[in-house]
Amino acid sequence: MLIDIENVYKIYNEGTEAEVRALDGVNLAIDRGEFVAVVGQSGSGKSTLMNILGCLDIPTRGTYRIDGQDVRELDDAQLSHIRNKQVGFIFQGYNLIQSLTAYENVELPLIYQNVSAFKRRELVMDAMARVGVAERYRHHPAEMSGGQQQRVAIARAIATHPPIIMADEPTGALDSHTGKEVLRFLQELNKEGSTIILITHDNSIAATARRVVRISDGRIIQDQEQEVDWL
Amino acid sequence: MKLGQAFKMAFKSINNNKGRAFLTMLGIIIGVASVMAIVSVLMGQNKMTMELYEAQGTNKVTVSATLYNGTSVFDDLYDYCLYLSSLGLADGVTPNANLWDVTITYGTKNSATMEQSPQVYLGSDQYSIVNNFQVDQGRDISKIDVDEYHNVCVMGAVAARNFFDLTNPVGQQIRINGTPFTVIGTYVEKMANSDNSYIDNVIVLPYTAARTLGQDLYMSDFYVKASSSSTADEVVTRLTGFLTGICGDPNDWNNNKGYFYAQNEQQYINQSNQAAAAMSMVLGGIAAISLIVGGIGIMNIMLVTVTERTKEIGIRRAIGAERKSIVAQFLIEAGMICGIGGIIGVIFGTMLTLLGGKFILHFTEPLWPTVTITLGALLFSVVLGIIFGMYPAIKASGLQPVEALRAE
Repeated sequence: MLIDIENVYKIYNEGTEAEVRALDGVNLAIDRGEFVAVVGQSGSGKSTLMNILGCLDIPTRGTYRIDGQDVRELDDAQLSHIRNKQVGFIFQGYNLIQSLTAYENVELPLIYQNVSAFKRRELVMDAMARVGVAERYRHHPAEMSGGQQQRVAIARAIATHPPIIMADEPTGALDSHTGKEVLRFLQELNKEGSTIILITHDNSIAATARRVVRISDGRIIQDQEQEVDWL
Repeated sequence: MKLGQAFKMAFKSINNNKGRAFLTMLGIIIGVASVMAIVSVLMGQNKMTMELYEAQGTNKVTVSATLYNGTSVFDDLYDYCLYLSSLGLADGVTPNANLWDVTITYGTKNSATMEQSPQVYLGSDQYSIVNNFQVDQGRDISKIDVDEYHNVCVMGAVAARNFFDLTNPVGQQIRINGTPFTVIGTYVEKMANSDNSYIDNVIVLPYTAARTLGQDLYMSDFYVKASSSSTADEVVTRLTGFLTGICGDPNDWNNNKGYFYAQNEQQYINQSNQAAAAMSMVLGGIAAISLIVGGIGIMNIMLVTVTERTKEIGIRRAIGAERKSIVAQFLIEAGMICGIGGIIGVIFGTMLTLLGGKFILHFTEPLWPTVTITLGALLFSVVLGIIFGMYPAIKASGLQPVEALRAE
């Protein structure tokens, strides 16, 4: 199993009256090459799940193994390396650094990987060409449309060729046409062998995935395979 | 992350926010510039004082003795000084006296109408050795001039220029209070600095000529030039022993025989050095406080920056930046702001030092700050940046990635 979480809890303000169980005993295993959509309403705990899967947050209780390694045994540097090398994030709000150009944003994870400048250039331009924003490499995020910004964010996520892509509402801020393109691209990446985890509240978007995991009140209520709506 | 990359990032971040970076630097710039200028100008002044001492002769011992019954100690003291000289303890001895209220004339030139009238000194044939004068034109005062009451004189460079302009003074006759004196030589100019030209504005006569001038001088002072700084102390000890025998103990209140003193001028130099060092410490310290205030300013701005850039920190952490990379980024940024501020401060400090040398100390040569103070101020400002950047940097790296990402 690539991703394996067992009985994971994420509890805020535990033991007080304001206690919130964002994740309430979740079990989930995801294999290499899967395309999983995690579907839930806002507040269902789906973003918390992604944060834990992406090593951005640590569970209150329970075990999480990524590639066989228990994340609770890892220190900050090792967790950083997992985020850097194993996972590519695509966020709803793009999360590009405004003061950097498109090129520099895509380059950033490679800098933290200590890739040489020459090799970086190649990887960055490849990734940007792949999502069709290569000619915008000198622009700052503020000078680009939402769709272009999300493509830059996708280029940043794939520049390191990570085995896992995590996308949290990647189409949330985009028009339907651009959103469709992004989803088609995720399907394409999945065909090439990447494991995709797509977080969404929208069933029609979830239809692009082979497997759908429904989450409500911090629990998984449904986990099934489905016919894929190929875009 | 490699260090070179961290520097590039820090530079970029400063470059993106030039106005704020400059305002942050201002404290450091003012601090570094004032520390440098204050210390350098004080050091320049001290150097000037030292040069003045040196120009007037080093290892000089001043000795003076008086008997309350009016008997002159001159001959005995002179003999004893010459005896010390014969032992090899001293290089030269000269009486030390000058004439007051003298009018010197040459043709239409009159000392009374001059801006700075020359000082007239009475000395032996060793006057120039003791006072560090070198003969330029003509010859020095000789023992024969002294012994045979010759009416001759040697003129310092400024005095010679004031009376003779470009003509050769040697062989000319000047009148001192009406008495003619033949100029037999001139001395090489010692101080080019106009503030200290008085050192060269002198006329030296054989001390025996005082009688010719009819001034009833009570001469009791001598300069003894010790052969080295170590023998200067021995000369003082011996003179003290000798004069205690004649005048009694000068520190004894009941002593009614006489009074004397024998002092090594090096003591004054040391005292003046110490005073200058203390002055530098105090004023430099005040300026250093302004540097520290500048450092606190940097901490403030860096803290604001951390808060503003929480989102950016979250993004960086999400895509794989380690804690130490974030610390490095903010530390280098703070260090760089201080470093750049320090360099601008050094430029201003150098300019202020040059201006101070010209307008406060009236140096003819440009006064440059020393390498030590320049590098010291620069290093201090960078270290300050790192120290005050530490807290914001650690604060920035301590955020959980998910919390940082949530910030807007």
